Amino acid sequence: MLLKLAWLVLGLGGAGAWGVLALHRGETISAAWLVLAAVGTYLVAFRFYSRFLADRVFGLNDRRATPAERLANGRDFVPTTRWVLFGHHFAAIAGAGPLVGPVLAAQFGYLPGTIWIVFGVVLAGAVQDFIILFGSMRRDGKSLGQMAKEETGAVTGVLAMLAVLAIMVILLAVLALVVVNALKDSPWGVFTILCTIPIAVLMGFWMKVWRPGRTLEASGVGVVLLMASLVGGRYVAESATLAPLFTWSAPTLAYAVIAYGFIASVLPVWMLLCPRDYLSTFMKIGTILLLAFGILLVMPPLRMPAITRFVDGTGPVFAGKLFPFAFITIACGAISGFHALVASGTTPKMLIRESDARLIGYGGMLMESFVAVMAMCAAALLDPGIYFAINAPLATLGGTAASAAEVIRGWGFTVTPEQITGLAREVGEQSLLGRAGGAPSLAVGMAHILSGAFGRSLMPLWYHFAIMFEALFILTTVDTGTRVGRFMLQEVVGHVWEPLGRTSWYPSTILASAAVVGGWGYFLVQGVTDPLGGINSLWPLFGISNQLLAAVALCVGTTILIKAGKARYAGVTLGPLAWVLLVTLTAGWQKVFADDPRLGFLAHAAQVTQQLAAGAIEPARAARLVFNDRLDAVVALAFMLVTVLVVAASAREWVLVLTRRKPATVKEAPFVETAYAG
Amino acid sequence: MRADRVRMLRRIVSAIRAVAGMPDYDAYVAHFRRCHPERPVPSERLFYDQFVESRYGDGPTRCC
Repeated sequence: MLLKLAWLVLGLGGAGAWGVLALHRGETISAAWLVLAAVGTYLVAFRFYSRFLADRVFGLNDRRATPAERLANGRDFVPTTRWVLFGHHFAAIAGAGPLVGPVLAAQFGYLPGTIWIVFGVVLAGAVQDFIILFGSMRRDGKSLGQMAKEETGAVTGVLAMLAVLAIMVILLAVLALVVVNALKDSPWGVFTILCTIPIAVLMGFWMKVWRPGRTLEASGVGVVLLMASLVGGRYVAESATLAPLFTWSAPTLAYAVIAYGFIASVLPVWMLLCPRDYLSTFMKIGTILLLAFGILLVMPPLRMPAITRFVDGTGPVFAGKLFPFAFITIACGAISGFHALVASGTTPKMLIRESDARLIGYGGMLMESFVAVMAMCAAALLDPGIYFAINAPLATLGGTAASAAEVIRGWGFTVTPEQITGLAREVGEQSLLGRAGGAPSLAVGMAHILSGAFGRSLMPLWYHFAIMFEALFILTTVDTGTRVGRFMLQEVVGHVWEPLGRTSWYPSTILASAAVVGGWGYFLVQGVTDPLGGINSLWPLFGISNQLLAAVALCVGTTILIKAGKARYAGVTLGPLAWVLLVTLTAGWQKVFADDPRLGFLAHAAQVTQQLAAGAIEPARAARLVFNDRLDAVVALAFMLVTVLVVAASAREWVLVLTRRKPATVKEAPFVETAYAG
Repeated sequence: MRADRVRMLRRIVSAIRAVAGMPDYDAYVAHFRRCHPERPVPSERLFYDQFVESRYGDGPTRCC
């Protein structure tokens, strides 16, 4: 009874917070309301909806031995207690996506984004992660591609794998672009990030050669050295001789990141990749906890309006109306197809009990959504004028603080040139103008929160700490992603000529790595030289691809449910699937065919052609821009086509099973009674 | 009392390592002795090498 009362209070608390958000339009409210509304909703959803999924829909059974128990080998099949596994799973799914997406979507105001982050995760994102984790757990930890192949046929399996490879290329390009935009002309940032490479190599030797397996020792040393390089960066930035050495332009940085990605992909894993992974895992968890603590302590007021005028599609950060682009832009914080790969990777091999999948699959994704809510708070606490000065493309703002302030005042937000230059000075940078990509505005927001909580004088240090923290794990995604892409490519071309499929054969490794790096590197360079600021074209492309992968995962989930004889519950995945398809196919269509040259790739190509005819643009540049526009259009259409094919193949399977022309059997591993004490 | 504290500390350390994805060598040794009593137990160095290989060998371990 008391418990029921507690849930009632919780639910009412969350609803009350939503009420405050809804009623206080046009006045400043505290970020605490956002946090309260989100947490209240999560708790209620976890208690009721995830239990419904676990008990009724999936039928989790603690008497059934998990793969970790049946196949225990002490290495990857390791029974792991649930809170530890929760931390592990969360560290694996949370990356730059939930931090960058909400910051960009703040262009529409904080309310639309927050609503989608919270309700999207509860009804769609967490359901996807949970069902894929469940499916993989019942199949000895098989991957999404393998499950797609076994349950819906070989064609779907191959399509799913191709989709993953293509998405990887776009993902790595856009994440690298975020780093480039954060680090360009910033000697402090560049120095700190460069230092992470020798630090990681040192840790690698520590764990491999000097003190085998002493992960924590090495990570401790790594974190201390990282902090030292962060402090050292300030002296580099202030030194007249050192600063120019580390002041890199965007194209230079882009080529440096490409070179780094290639080297990291061909070096042995223990030397660079594995230690970086540890470093970024610990930094990630630590910083997210710190940020949550900071927000609760400071409870900053939200200066961004709840809804801005840019819902009409004229926004400077990215083009497109609230529907569908708010949903595309938020990406990982609400639903992320990529999680399906992690949820069918290491985690299902470590669950002790089936019922733990509820906390880890559903709960882990709620946590990721909470990170997205915090990112939204960090962006919305900035003055809107400052937010747009950082995130609008340089070409729109003009090169100086005075011109930027003029343009932004034209949009109806008050900001003075002194505020813009003053803020840059305050965080220890030359200029913050036109740094689209989310990382810098998030860093300014985080610096506000953390310096508010732990001392104002440390503002520049907190800013660069936030930049370092983001760049560190984005680059970790870049190197692991390149490696994974390399393996996938080798597997595909191995079917054509067998030696190319050998992952340990050096010529094949170098060729495949170069191909993958070349792929995302091309899009990265395209983004860096894009006159509209590459985020405008690449981030929507990434958002679309990531959610289309989610559609593939939800198809696999639906197939599993229908074949298991649970067709009456198929709505739990079919609902989100329909929504995700509607959003992404609309967005994809608009990105390709819209008449507005800021929005549609083809319209932009036509505009460039006109400029060329008028002699307003040089021919070589025009040819490149037109080619890139057409390439982006083809990529978007290809994503849409692959997804429609997967959905069609799955739907055919559903109809066959439901009309009893095909037996409703799933390819689960057989039931084995657990040996653990109940 | 002291032994308790040491055990507690080891548990915490191994939990933190597990969050980063690193399995516990002692647990592996226990598993190995139980399931393969006839074979010599691999050294910690070998265990670490094999773990790193298998962990980053296939499939993404990190998200966007």
